Amino acid sequence: MRRVVITGYGINSSFGFGAGSLQKGLEQNSSGISRVDELLACNGLQCKIAACVGEYNINVIPRLHRRSMGRVAHLGALAALEAVEHCGATPAMITAPRTGCIMSSTMGSASELYATFDTIFTEKTMSSVSGMQFFKCASHTVAMNVAQMLGIRGEVLSPSAACASSMQAIGLGFQLIRGGILDMAFCGGAEEVNSMVVGSFESIFAAAPPARNDNPETASRPFDARRDGLVCGEGAGVIVLESLDSALARSAVIFGEVIGYNTSASGSHISQSDSTAIRDCIDAALRDANISPREIDYVSAHATGTVQGDASEADALRQVFGGKVPVSSLKGGLGHTMGASGAIELAACLMMMRDSVIYPTRNLEQPAEDCSGLNHIRQQTSAAINCFIKNCFAFGGINAVLVCRRFNA
Amino acid sequence: MTDNDIRNKIKEVFVKNFELDENIIQDDKLLFDDLGLDSLDIVDLIVGLQRVFKIDLRKYSEIKSIRTFGDVCNVMNKIINEHKPDEMNKISDGHK
Repeated sequence: MRRVVITGYGINSSFGFGAGSLQKGLEQNSSGISRVDELLACNGLQCKIAACVGEYNINVIPRLHRRSMGRVAHLGALAALEAVEHCGATPAMITAPRTGCIMSSTMGSASELYATFDTIFTEKTMSSVSGMQFFKCASHTVAMNVAQMLGIRGEVLSPSAACASSMQAIGLGFQLIRGGILDMAFCGGAEEVNSMVVGSFESIFAAAPPARNDNPETASRPFDARRDGLVCGEGAGVIVLESLDSALARSAVIFGEVIGYNTSASGSHISQSDSTAIRDCIDAALRDANISPREIDYVSAHATGTVQGDASEADALRQVFGGKVPVSSLKGGLGHTMGASGAIELAACLMMMRDSVIYPTRNLEQPAEDCSGLNHIRQQTSAAINCFIKNCFAFGGINAVLVCRRFNA
Repeated sequence: MTDNDIRNKIKEVFVKNFELDENIIQDDKLLFDDLGLDSLDIVDLIVGLQRVFKIDLRKYSEIKSIRTFGDVCNVMNKIINEHKPDEMNKISDGHK
């Protein structure tokens, strides 16, 4: 099987556009969470906060490609453009038949779905719906739009797995390159904040309660004793995966190596996490990487700030790693970027590994008893990271874990 | 509504939907080759014209014959005059 390395990435989030913005926000332990006008105006929605991306100029993308994009595809496309520049691949490489695009989101563009149905219900006719709406709404809108924009001719895939979406995209890209089907793949995900998305979490009591609206920056509290729900965020992450041979042949800069991956399900509950299933997924990813738990220097937790989810993950981590390996969740400041979280947070891990630093879990003031027994990182810490795992867990009992290490020839 | 009113409204649809410079939108310009539209854009052109002129254009087969901007203006003039000349005049009066 071939070795698979990471040769570039592109990011946008509530911290701004570009990987530099992400790093700066993490270094400063910032929060991108604030009160959001759209949510404030939504009747019946109690959670009024989210981590939204700021304004951007989408006209950098030509109309021909831009016309079929809604907001979620905008974010994915802008991240993809940064990733292309970051990896330095030539147009010939990008459009080669063995270069793929594997990108996901939770549900396509909720805002465009809303606009479509608003048109139909208001004007009571289908004839007023733009021919572009399907492309903006479709569940694979990010993948197909990014692929079209880049001229991708290899496999275009869009695994949809809610909050594990982009991790499944990255894992799938890893497997396809390792297995010799692709040489390069642009993998990741994007997500947009919308009242429907926030409402879906609120309806099952998973969103931060209204009491948090007055202090948005302290609302997302992974692993904390006073955690009481997640805060939705938006953004996009694109990771460029490449076979080692391909990367070396063009003298690409290598930011890390993917050495293992597993995605599996709990089969036990459609919304609640299962610590046994999570443990099994982590174990399987480590076996796939052919390493033992003691070789892991850092765990980038999924932990979103929900009571049950964080406790399940903590239980699984204790079982696999005991209490020594450093653990942090970046969702305290970024919010939960859902389908994009795996890609965005993986890029953050690569930067941590490069800089020998671990960014803390913001708002983790007192680890909850059910999340205790772990080496929680609560302030920026210098640490050599040779090997880390990135966890993503999703509705449907879907778990995905990626194992990465510093590249050594 | 005069022919010129109709033409200007059609031109606005082109400018707004396809980000075209109004100065290049001339009668003899081919929609595909000169103005850079494609078949998907034609769908949105029809939706845009329907919104502006409040007519369901899909039942008019002439719409399929358009090749130039001038064709669009001619076809829309014909459809508007056949469809509801009184209502279009009321819309025009509202602009006075």
